[in-house]
Amino acid sequence: MININNLSFSYTRKPPYTLSNLNLNINKGDYISFVGENGSGKSTLVKLILKILSPTIGDINYECTNIGYVPQRFENLNTQFPITVKEIMNCYRKTLKIKDKTCIEKYLALVNMLDNKNSLIGNLSGGQCQKIFIARALMGKPELLILDEPSNGVDQKSQDEIYALIKDLNRNEAITVISVEHNLKAAISNSTLIYHLSSGNGHLCKPEDYIEEFVMSNTGGKIHA
Amino acid sequence: MLDLFQYSFMQNAIIISLLISILCPIIGIFLVLRRYSMIGDTLAHSSLAGVAVGLVLKVNPILSAFIITSFFGISIELLRSYFKKYAELILTIVLSLSVGIAITIMSSQNVNANVESFLFGSILTVTRTDLYTVLFLSIVSVITIIMLYNQMVFIAFDEEGAQIAGIKVKIINYIFSILVSATVAVSIRIVGVLVLSSMIALPVAAALQLEKGFKATLLYSMLFSVIDIILGIYISYYINAAPGGVTAIISVITLVVVISFKNIRSYMYK
Repeated sequence: MININNLSFSYTRKPPYTLSNLNLNINKGDYISFVGENGSGKSTLVKLILKILSPTIGDINYECTNIGYVPQRFENLNTQFPITVKEIMNCYRKTLKIKDKTCIEKYLALVNMLDNKNSLIGNLSGGQCQKIFIARALMGKPELLILDEPSNGVDQKSQDEIYALIKDLNRNEAITVISVEHNLKAAISNSTLIYHLSSGNGHLCKPEDYIEEFVMSNTGGKIHA
Repeated sequence: MLDLFQYSFMQNAIIISLLISILCPIIGIFLVLRRYSMIGDTLAHSSLAGVAVGLVLKVNPILSAFIITSFFGISIELLRSYFKKYAELILTIVLSLSVGIAITIMSSQNVNANVESFLFGSILTVTRTDLYTVLFLSIVSVITIIMLYNQMVFIAFDEEGAQIAGIKVKIINYIFSILVSATVAVSIRIVGVLVLSSMIALPVAAALQLEKGFKATLLYSMLFSVIDIILGIYISYYINAAPGGVTAIISVITLVVVISFKNIRSYMYK
Protein backbone atom coordinates (compact mmCIF):
# COMPACT_ATOMS: atom_id res chain seq x y z
CA MET A 1 0.00 0.00 0.00
CA ILE A 2 2.87 2.37 0.90
CA ASN A 3 6.45 1.69 -0.03
CA ILE A 4 9.19 3.87 1.47
CA ASN A 5 12.53 3.52 -0.34
CA ASN A 6 15.89 4.75 1.00
CA LEU A 7 14.19 7.81 2.42
CA SER A 8 16.28 10.52 4.06
CA PHE A 9 14.97 13.88 5.14
CA SER A 10 16.45 17.09 6.45
CA TYR A 11 14.56 20.36 7.03
CA THR A 12 17.60 22.24 5.67
CA ARG A 13 17.79 19.89 2.64
CA LYS A 14 21.38 18.90 3.60
CA PRO A 15 23.01 16.66 6.26
CA PRO A 16 22.55 15.96 9.14
CA TYR A 17 19.29 14.17 8.38
CA THR A 18 16.26 14.05 10.70
CA LEU A 19 15.39 10.72 9.06
CA SER A 20 18.12 8.62 7.54
CA ASN A 21 17.86 5.91 4.88
CA LEU A 22 14.46 4.51 5.90
CA ASN A 23 12.96 1.51 4.12
CA LEU A 24 9.46 0.43 5.03
CA ASN A 25 6.61 -1.46 3.38
CA ILE A 26 3.13 -0.90 4.75
CA ASN A 27 0.70 -3.49 3.45
CA LYS A 28 -3.08 -3.35 3.17
CA GLY A 29 -4.67 -4.22 6.51
CA ASP A 30 -1.62 -3.37 8.63
CA TYR A 31 -2.05 -1.41 11.85
CA ILE A 32 1.37 0.10 12.38
CA SER A 33 2.39 2.31 15.28
CA PHE A 34 5.29 4.72 14.95
CA VAL A 35 6.98 4.95 18.34
CA GLY A 36 10.11 6.64 19.67
CA GLU A 37 11.34 9.48 21.83
CA ASN A 38 10.39 13.13 21.23
CA GLY A 39 12.34 14.41 18.22
CA SER A 40 12.95 10.92 16.85
CA GLY A 41 11.20 11.86 13.59
CA LYS A 42 7.78 10.14 13.99
CA SER A 43 5.72 13.21 13.09
CA THR A 44 8.18 14.15 10.32
CA LEU A 45 7.71 10.70 8.77
CA VAL A 46 3.93 11.10 8.92
CA LYS A 47 4.18 14.52 7.26
CA LEU A 48 6.26 12.94 4.49
CA ILE A 49 3.65 10.21 3.99
CA LEU A 50 0.93 12.89 3.93
CA LYS A 51 2.98 14.83 1.32
CA ILE A 52 3.14 17.93 3.57
CA LEU A 53 6.94 17.54 3.30
CA SER A 54 8.97 16.10 0.41
CA PRO A 55 11.82 13.61 0.82
CA THR A 56 15.36 15.00 0.54
CA ILE A 57 16.61 11.63 -0.78
CA GLY A 58 14.58 8.56 -1.78
CA ASP A 59 10.87 8.30 -2.43
CA ILE A 60 7.50 7.09 -1.21
CA ASN A 61 5.27 5.05 -3.54
CA TYR A 62 1.53 4.90 -2.97
CA GLU A 63 -0.98 2.28 -3.98
CA CYS A 64 -3.83 4.11 -2.29
CA THR A 65 -5.54 7.40 -3.09
CA ASN A 66 -7.84 8.01 -0.13
CA ILE A 67 -5.96 8.91 3.03
CA GLY A 68 -7.79 10.07 6.17
CA TYR A 69 -5.90 12.11 8.74
CA VAL A 70 -6.70 12.69 12.42
CA PRO A 71 -4.54 15.58 13.66
CA GLN A 72 -2.92 15.93 17.05
CA ARG A 73 -5.60 17.92 18.84
CA PHE A 74 -3.50 20.03 21.18
CA GLU A 75 -0.68 20.85 18.81
CA ASN A 76 -2.44 21.86 15.63
CA LEU A 77 -5.91 23.04 16.49
CA ASN A 78 -7.40 26.14 17.99
CA THR A 79 -9.99 24.46 20.21
CA GLN A 80 -11.60 27.83 20.98
CA PHE A 81 -12.46 28.30 17.30
CA PRO A 82 -16.19 29.18 17.04
CA ILE A 83 -17.34 26.19 15.05
CA THR A 84 -19.88 23.45 15.69
CA VAL A 85 -19.31 19.74 15.10
CA LYS A 86 -21.82 19.83 12.25
CA GLU A 87 -19.99 22.76 10.60
CA ILE A 88 -16.66 20.89 10.81
CA MET A 89 -18.20 17.81 9.21
CA ASN A 90 -20.06 19.84 6.58
CA CYS A 91 -16.91 21.73 5.62
CA TYR A 92 -15.09 18.45 5.00
CA ARG A 93 -18.07 16.96 3.14
CA LYS A 94 -18.19 19.92 0.77
CA THR A 95 -14.41 19.90 0.30
CA LEU A 96 -14.56 16.24 -0.73
CA LYS A 97 -17.65 17.04 -2.89
CA ILE A 98 -19.76 14.37 -1.14
CA LYS A 99 -23.38 15.00 -2.16
CA ASP A 100 -25.05 12.81 0.49
CA LYS A 101 -25.73 15.15 3.45
CA THR A 102 -26.89 12.26 5.65
CA CYS A 103 -23.32 10.92 5.80
CA ILE A 104 -22.61 13.48 8.55
CA GLU A 105 -25.15 11.86 10.89
CA LYS A 106 -24.05 8.39 9.80
CA TYR A 107 -20.38 8.89 10.78
CA LEU A 108 -21.19 10.85 13.94
CA ALA A 109 -23.42 7.94 15.01
CA LEU A 110 -20.57 5.52 14.25
CA VAL A 111 -18.38 7.25 16.85
CA ASN A 112 -21.32 7.79 19.27
CA MET A 113 -21.22 11.56 18.88
CA LEU A 114 -24.55 12.24 17.17
CA ASP A 115 -25.93 13.96 20.29
CA ASN A 116 -23.08 16.49 20.11
CA LYS A 117 -23.83 17.50 16.52
CA ASN A 118 -24.61 21.11 17.47
CA SER A 119 -21.93 21.47 20.17
CA LEU A 120 -19.04 23.87 19.77
CA ILE A 121 -15.74 22.02 19.34
CA GLY A 122 -14.29 24.05 22.25
CA ASN A 123 -16.91 22.61 24.63
CA LEU A 124 -15.94 18.99 23.96
CA SER A 125 -13.47 16.88 25.94
CA GLY A 126 -10.22 15.60 24.42
CA GLY A 127 -11.73 12.17 23.78
CA GLN A 128 -14.86 13.62 22.16
CA CYS A 129 -12.70 15.81 19.89
CA GLN A 130 -10.70 12.81 18.73
CA LYS A 131 -13.89 10.93 17.93
CA ILE A 132 -15.13 13.88 15.84
CA PHE A 133 -11.88 13.97 13.87
CA ILE A 134 -12.02 10.22 13.32
CA ALA A 135 -15.61 10.61 12.06
CA ARG A 136 -14.47 13.45 9.79
CA ALA A 137 -11.64 11.35 8.37
CA LEU A 138 -13.96 8.37 7.81
CA MET A 139 -16.36 10.47 5.74
CA GLY A 140 -13.82 10.34 2.90
CA LYS A 141 -13.96 6.49 3.01
CA PRO A 142 -10.17 6.22 3.47
CA GLU A 143 -8.15 3.14 2.61
CA LEU A 144 -5.47 4.44 4.98
CA LEU A 145 -6.15 6.22 8.28
CA ILE A 146 -3.29 8.20 9.84
CA LEU A 147 -3.62 9.30 13.47
CA ASP A 148 -1.21 11.61 15.28
CA GLU A 149 -1.12 10.65 18.97
CA PRO A 150 -4.81 9.72 19.30
CA SER A 151 -4.60 9.34 23.10
CA ASN A 152 -2.98 12.73 23.77
CA GLY A 153 -5.08 14.62 26.36
CA VAL A 154 -7.70 11.88 26.45
CA ASP A 155 -8.98 10.18 29.65
CA GLN A 156 -8.62 6.41 30.07
CA LYS A 157 -12.27 5.56 29.36
CA SER A 158 -12.25 7.55 26.11
CA GLN A 159 -8.86 6.06 25.16
CA ASP A 160 -10.37 2.56 25.48
CA GLU A 161 -13.30 3.57 23.27
CA ILE A 162 -11.07 5.23 20.66
CA TYR A 163 -8.65 2.30 20.39
CA ALA A 164 -11.56 -0.19 20.24
CA LEU A 165 -12.97 1.86 17.35
CA ILE A 166 -9.63 2.07 15.49
CA LYS A 167 -9.06 -1.65 15.99
CA ASP A 168 -12.56 -2.40 14.70
CA LEU A 169 -12.02 -0.23 11.61
CA ASN A 170 -8.73 -2.02 10.96
CA ARG A 171 -9.89 -5.58 11.57
CA ASN A 172 -13.46 -5.43 10.22
CA GLU A 173 -13.45 -2.61 7.67
CA ALA A 174 -9.94 -3.44 6.34
CA ILE A 175 -8.74 0.12 6.83
CA THR A 176 -4.96 0.30 7.07
CA VAL A 177 -3.87 2.31 10.10
CA ILE A 178 -0.74 4.33 10.86
CA SER A 179 -0.67 5.77 14.35
CA VAL A 180 2.01 8.01 15.85
CA GLU A 181 2.15 6.85 19.46
CA HIS A 182 3.55 7.98 22.76
CA ASN A 183 1.25 5.49 24.44
CA LEU A 184 3.38 2.32 24.27
CA LYS A 185 0.77 0.20 26.05
CA ALA A 186 -1.84 1.10 23.43
CA ALA A 187 0.66 0.57 20.60
CA ILE A 188 1.62 -2.91 21.81
CA SER A 189 -1.90 -4.09 22.55
CA ASN A 190 -3.61 -2.77 19.40
CA SER A 191 -1.23 -2.63 16.47
CA THR A 192 -0.07 -5.47 14.26
CA LEU A 193 3.36 -3.88 13.70
CA ILE A 194 5.56 -1.40 15.53
CA TYR A 195 8.04 0.89 13.80
CA HIS A 196 10.55 2.23 16.31
CA LEU A 197 12.31 5.44 15.35
CA SER A 198 15.46 6.54 17.11
CA SER A 199 17.96 9.19 15.98
CA GLY A 200 16.41 9.15 12.52
CA ASN A 201 16.75 5.37 12.05
CA GLY A 202 13.82 2.99 11.91
CA HIS A 203 13.28 -0.58 13.05
CA LEU A 204 10.19 -2.68 12.30
CA CYS A 205 9.01 -5.46 14.58
CA LYS A 206 5.94 -7.26 15.85
CA PRO A 207 4.37 -5.98 19.08
CA GLU A 208 5.21 -9.18 20.93
CA ASP A 209 8.88 -8.75 20.04
CA TYR A 210 8.97 -5.04 20.77
CA ILE A 211 9.39 -5.05 24.54
CA GLU A 212 12.19 -7.56 24.32
CA GLU A 213 13.97 -5.66 21.54
CA PHE A 214 13.39 -2.30 23.21
CA VAL A 215 14.94 -3.62 26.42
CA MET A 216 17.80 -5.01 24.37
CA SER A 217 18.35 -1.62 22.71
CA ASN A 218 18.75 -0.03 26.11
CA THR A 219 21.37 -2.64 26.93
CA GLY A 220 23.27 -2.21 23.69
CA GLY A 221 21.13 -4.61 21.64
CA LYS A 222 20.35 -4.48 17.95
CA ILE A 223 17.21 -2.36 17.80
CA HIS A 224 18.87 0.29 15.60
CA ALA A 225 20.47 -2.28 13.32
CA MET B 1 -34.10 63.63 12.17
CA LEU B 2 -33.95 61.67 8.93
CA ASP B 3 -33.37 64.82 6.82
CA LEU B 4 -29.76 63.97 6.26
CA PHE B 5 -30.73 60.99 4.08
CA GLN B 6 -32.11 63.31 1.39
CA TYR B 7 -28.61 64.50 0.44
CA SER B 8 -27.03 62.52 -2.37
CA PHE B 9 -23.58 62.50 -0.70
CA MET B 10 -25.25 60.99 2.37
CA GLN B 11 -27.02 58.34 0.29
CA ASN B 12 -23.66 57.43 -1.28
CA ALA B 13 -22.08 57.30 2.16
CA ILE B 14 -24.84 55.06 3.56
CA ILE B 15 -24.66 52.60 0.63
CA ILE B 16 -20.87 52.39 0.95
CA SER B 17 -21.20 51.97 4.73
CA LEU B 18 -23.58 49.04 4.32
CA LEU B 19 -21.13 47.42 1.90
CA ILE B 20 -18.32 47.98 4.42
CA SER B 21 -20.38 46.43 7.20
CA ILE B 22 -20.83 43.29 5.10
CA LEU B 23 -17.26 43.01 3.82
CA CYS B 24 -15.25 43.96 6.93
CA PRO B 25 -16.63 41.23 9.24
CA ILE B 26 -16.43 38.55 6.52
CA ILE B 27 -12.74 39.26 6.04
CA GLY B 28 -12.26 40.17 9.71
CA ILE B 29 -13.50 36.83 11.05
CA PHE B 30 -10.83 34.97 9.07
CA LEU B 31 -8.12 37.48 10.05
CA VAL B 32 -9.03 37.34 13.75
CA LEU B 33 -9.36 33.55 13.92
CA ARG B 34 -6.08 33.02 12.11
CA ARG B 35 -4.50 35.54 14.50
CA TYR B 36 -3.73 37.88 11.59
CA SER B 37 -5.60 40.97 12.83
CA MET B 38 -2.45 43.06 12.54
CA ILE B 39 -2.20 42.21 8.82
CA GLY B 40 -5.47 44.12 8.38
CA ASP B 41 -4.00 47.09 10.22
CA THR B 42 -0.76 46.97 8.22
CA LEU B 43 -2.60 46.78 4.91
CA ALA B 44 -4.89 49.62 5.97
CA HIS B 45 -1.81 51.80 6.49
CA SER B 46 -0.28 50.49 3.25
CA SER B 47 -3.32 51.74 1.36
CA LEU B 48 -2.18 55.28 2.13
CA ALA B 49 0.64 54.79 -0.39
CA GLY B 50 -1.99 53.80 -2.97
CA VAL B 51 -4.11 56.84 -2.15
CA ALA B 52 -1.07 59.12 -2.55
CA VAL B 53 -0.17 57.52 -5.91
CA GLY B 54 -3.78 57.91 -7.08
CA LEU B 55 -3.96 61.57 -6.09
CA VAL B 56 -0.67 62.37 -7.84
CA LEU B 57 -1.55 60.44 -11.02
CA LYS B 58 -5.13 61.76 -10.86
CA VAL B 59 -6.73 58.30 -10.96
CA ASN B 60 -9.46 57.14 -8.56
CA PRO B 61 -7.63 56.80 -5.19
CA ILE B 62 -9.82 53.82 -4.17
CA LEU B 63 -8.70 51.91 -7.25
CA SER B 64 -5.03 52.84 -6.83
CA ALA B 65 -5.27 51.95 -3.12
CA PHE B 66 -6.67 48.53 -4.08
CA ILE B 67 -3.84 47.85 -6.55
CA ILE B 68 -1.02 49.01 -4.26
CA THR B 69 -2.52 47.29 -1.17
CA SER B 70 -2.89 44.04 -3.15
CA PHE B 71 0.80 44.29 -4.01
CA PHE B 72 1.70 44.67 -0.32
CA GLY B 73 -0.78 41.92 0.69
CA ILE B 74 0.83 39.47 -1.74
CA SER B 75 4.28 40.57 -0.51
CA ILE B 76 3.27 39.73 3.10
CA GLU B 77 2.11 36.28 1.98
CA LEU B 78 5.37 35.71 0.06
CA LEU B 79 7.52 36.86 2.99
CA ARG B 80 5.56 34.69 5.44
CA SER B 81 7.24 31.56 4.11
CA TYR B 82 10.63 33.31 4.28
CA PHE B 83 10.38 34.71 7.84
CA LYS B 84 8.46 31.74 9.28
CA LYS B 85 9.36 32.34 12.92
CA TYR B 86 9.24 36.14 12.89
CA ALA B 87 5.89 36.86 11.28
CA GLU B 88 5.52 40.26 12.99
CA LEU B 89 8.80 41.37 11.37
CA ILE B 90 7.15 41.11 7.94
CA LEU B 91 4.48 43.60 9.00
CA THR B 92 7.13 46.05 10.18
CA ILE B 93 8.94 45.76 6.84
CA VAL B 94 5.77 46.28 4.77
CA LEU B 95 4.56 49.09 7.03
CA SER B 96 7.91 50.90 6.81
CA LEU B 97 8.02 50.66 3.02
CA SER B 98 4.40 51.60 2.34
CA VAL B 99 4.10 54.45 4.83
CA GLY B 100 7.55 55.64 3.73
CA ILE B 101 6.32 55.80 0.13
CA ALA B 102 3.11 57.56 1.22
CA ILE B 103 4.90 60.23 3.28
CA THR B 104 7.51 60.84 0.56
CA ILE B 105 4.89 61.30 -2.16
CA MET B 106 2.57 63.40 0.00
CA SER B 107 5.28 65.73 1.24
CA SER B 108 6.98 66.21 -2.13
CA GLN B 109 3.85 66.49 -4.30
CA ASN B 110 1.80 68.63 -1.92
CA VAL B 111 -1.33 66.46 -1.80
CA ASN B 112 -1.73 66.72 1.98
CA ALA B 113 -5.14 68.35 1.98
CA ASN B 114 -6.82 65.56 0.02
CA VAL B 115 -5.08 62.82 1.95
CA GLU B 116 -6.63 63.96 5.24
CA SER B 117 -10.08 62.70 4.25
CA PHE B 118 -8.59 59.24 3.64
CA LEU B 119 -6.78 59.29 6.98
CA PHE B 120 -9.83 60.07 9.12
CA GLY B 121 -12.70 59.10 6.81
CA SER B 122 -15.19 61.50 5.31
CA ILE B 123 -18.85 61.61 4.32
CA LEU B 124 -18.84 64.85 2.36
CA THR B 125 -16.16 63.84 -0.14
CA VAL B 126 -17.85 60.58 -1.28
CA THR B 127 -18.57 60.81 -5.01
CA ARG B 128 -20.67 58.72 -7.40
CA THR B 129 -17.43 57.38 -8.98
CA ASP B 130 -16.32 56.24 -5.51
CA LEU B 131 -19.68 54.53 -5.05
CA TYR B 132 -19.40 52.62 -8.34
CA THR B 133 -15.79 51.61 -7.64
CA VAL B 134 -16.73 50.40 -4.15
CA LEU B 135 -19.80 48.60 -5.50
CA PHE B 136 -17.73 46.79 -8.13
CA LEU B 137 -15.00 45.74 -5.67
CA SER B 138 -17.58 44.63 -3.08
CA ILE B 139 -19.61 42.50 -5.49
CA VAL B 140 -16.50 40.77 -6.87
CA SER B 141 -15.19 40.19 -3.32
CA VAL B 142 -18.47 38.80 -1.97
CA ILE B 143 -18.84 36.43 -4.95
CA THR B 144 -15.24 35.21 -4.45
CA ILE B 145 -15.83 34.67 -0.72
CA ILE B 146 -19.06 32.73 -1.35
CA MET B 147 -17.22 30.49 -3.82
CA LEU B 148 -14.30 29.87 -1.45
CA TYR B 149 -16.24 29.94 1.83
CA ASN B 150 -15.80 26.27 2.80
CA GLN B 151 -12.14 26.15 1.88
CA MET B 152 -11.47 29.36 3.81
CA VAL B 153 -13.26 28.04 6.94
CA PHE B 154 -11.37 24.75 6.67
CA ILE B 155 -8.00 26.54 6.33
CA ALA B 156 -8.77 28.90 9.23
CA PHE B 157 -9.72 25.99 11.51
CA ASP B 158 -7.19 23.37 10.43
CA GLU B 159 -4.66 24.53 7.81
CA GLU B 160 -2.72 21.26 7.76
CA GLY B 161 -5.92 19.20 7.50
CA ALA B 162 -7.09 21.42 4.64
CA GLN B 163 -3.84 20.85 2.77
CA ILE B 164 -4.13 17.08 3.26
CA ALA B 165 -7.76 17.17 2.07
CA GLY B 166 -6.50 18.61 -1.22
CA ILE B 167 -7.28 22.31 -0.77
CA LYS B 168 -4.79 24.58 -2.55
CA VAL B 169 -3.95 26.45 0.65
CA LYS B 170 -1.23 28.67 -0.81
CA ILE B 171 -3.36 29.86 -3.74
CA ILE B 172 -6.32 30.57 -1.45
CA ASN B 173 -4.04 32.48 0.93
CA TYR B 174 -2.95 34.72 -1.97
CA ILE B 175 -6.57 35.25 -3.07
CA PHE B 176 -7.42 36.07 0.56
CA SER B 177 -4.66 38.73 0.62
CA ILE B 178 -6.29 40.38 -2.40
CA LEU B 179 -9.70 40.20 -0.69
CA VAL B 180 -8.27 41.93 2.40
CA SER B 181 -6.86 44.62 0.09
CA ALA B 182 -10.24 45.05 -1.60
CA THR B 183 -11.92 45.41 1.81
CA VAL B 184 -9.37 48.02 2.85
CA ALA B 185 -9.83 49.96 -0.40
CA VAL B 186 -13.62 49.85 -0.04
CA SER B 187 -13.49 51.08 3.56
CA ILE B 188 -10.93 53.90 3.52
CA ARG B 189 -13.32 56.54 2.12
CA ILE B 190 -15.73 56.37 5.06
CA VAL B 191 -13.78 54.84 7.94
CA GLY B 192 -10.32 56.18 7.10
CA VAL B 193 -6.94 54.50 7.14
CA LEU B 194 -6.08 55.13 10.79
CA VAL B 195 -8.91 53.23 12.46
CA LEU B 196 -9.90 50.84 9.69
CA SER B 197 -8.68 47.82 11.65
CA SER B 198 -11.35 48.58 14.26
CA MET B 199 -14.02 47.75 11.66
CA ILE B 200 -12.20 44.55 10.72
CA ALA B 201 -11.55 43.21 14.22
CA LEU B 202 -13.97 44.72 16.76
CA PRO B 203 -17.38 43.54 15.46
CA VAL B 204 -15.84 40.03 15.24
CA ALA B 205 -14.44 40.36 18.78
CA ALA B 206 -17.93 41.30 20.01
CA ALA B 207 -19.57 38.39 18.15
CA LEU B 208 -17.01 35.91 19.53
CA GLN B 209 -18.25 36.74 23.04
CA LEU B 210 -21.59 35.12 22.20
CA GLU B 211 -19.91 31.69 21.77
CA LYS B 212 -21.86 30.56 18.72
CA GLY B 213 -20.92 28.46 15.68
CA PHE B 214 -19.03 29.91 12.70
CA LYS B 215 -21.97 31.04 10.59
CA ALA B 216 -23.81 32.53 13.59
CA THR B 217 -20.63 34.37 14.70
CA LEU B 218 -20.28 35.78 11.19
CA LEU B 219 -23.91 36.99 11.11
CA TYR B 220 -23.60 38.62 14.54
CA SER B 221 -20.35 40.30 13.40
CA MET B 222 -22.25 41.80 10.46
CA LEU B 223 -25.04 42.96 12.75
CA PHE B 224 -22.59 44.69 15.12
CA SER B 225 -20.75 46.13 12.14
CA VAL B 226 -23.96 47.68 10.72
CA ILE B 227 -24.82 49.16 14.13
CA ASP B 228 -21.29 50.58 14.58
CA ILE B 229 -20.97 52.17 11.18
CA ILE B 230 -24.50 53.55 10.75
CA LEU B 231 -24.42 55.06 14.25
CA GLY B 232 -20.90 56.32 13.50
CA ILE B 233 -22.02 58.15 10.37
CA TYR B 234 -25.18 59.51 11.99
CA ILE B 235 -23.40 60.89 15.06
CA SER B 236 -20.40 62.20 13.12
CA TYR B 237 -22.78 64.17 10.86
CA TYR B 238 -24.46 65.88 13.80
CA ILE B 239 -21.30 66.62 15.79
CA ASN B 240 -19.41 67.56 12.62
CA ALA B 241 -16.61 65.05 13.24
CA ALA B 242 -14.77 62.60 10.96
CA PRO B 243 -16.77 59.32 10.74
CA GLY B 244 -13.67 57.16 11.24
CA GLY B 245 -13.08 58.31 14.79
CA VAL B 246 -16.72 58.12 15.86
CA THR B 247 -17.15 54.64 14.33
CA ALA B 248 -14.04 53.38 16.13
CA ILE B 249 -15.31 54.69 19.48
CA ILE B 250 -18.76 53.14 18.92
CA SER B 251 -17.28 49.77 17.96
CA VAL B 252 -15.31 49.72 21.23
CA ILE B 253 -18.48 50.69 23.16
CA THR B 254 -20.43 47.89 21.42
CA LEU B 255 -17.72 45.40 22.42
CA VAL B 256 -17.80 46.59 26.06
CA VAL B 257 -21.63 46.39 26.12
CA VAL B 258 -21.58 42.82 24.74
CA ILE B 259 -18.90 41.73 27.25
CA SER B 260 -20.86 43.35 30.12
CA PHE B 261 -24.11 41.74 28.95
CA LYS B 262 -22.41 38.35 28.79
CA ASN B 263 -20.92 38.70 32.28
CA ILE B 264 -24.18 39.94 33.82
CA ARG B 265 -26.06 37.06 32.23
CA SER B 266 -23.58 34.43 33.42
CA TYR B 267 -23.66 36.01 36.93
CA MET B 268 -27.49 35.85 37.00
CA TYR B 269 -27.61 32.22 35.89
CA LYS B 270 -24.92 31.09 38.37
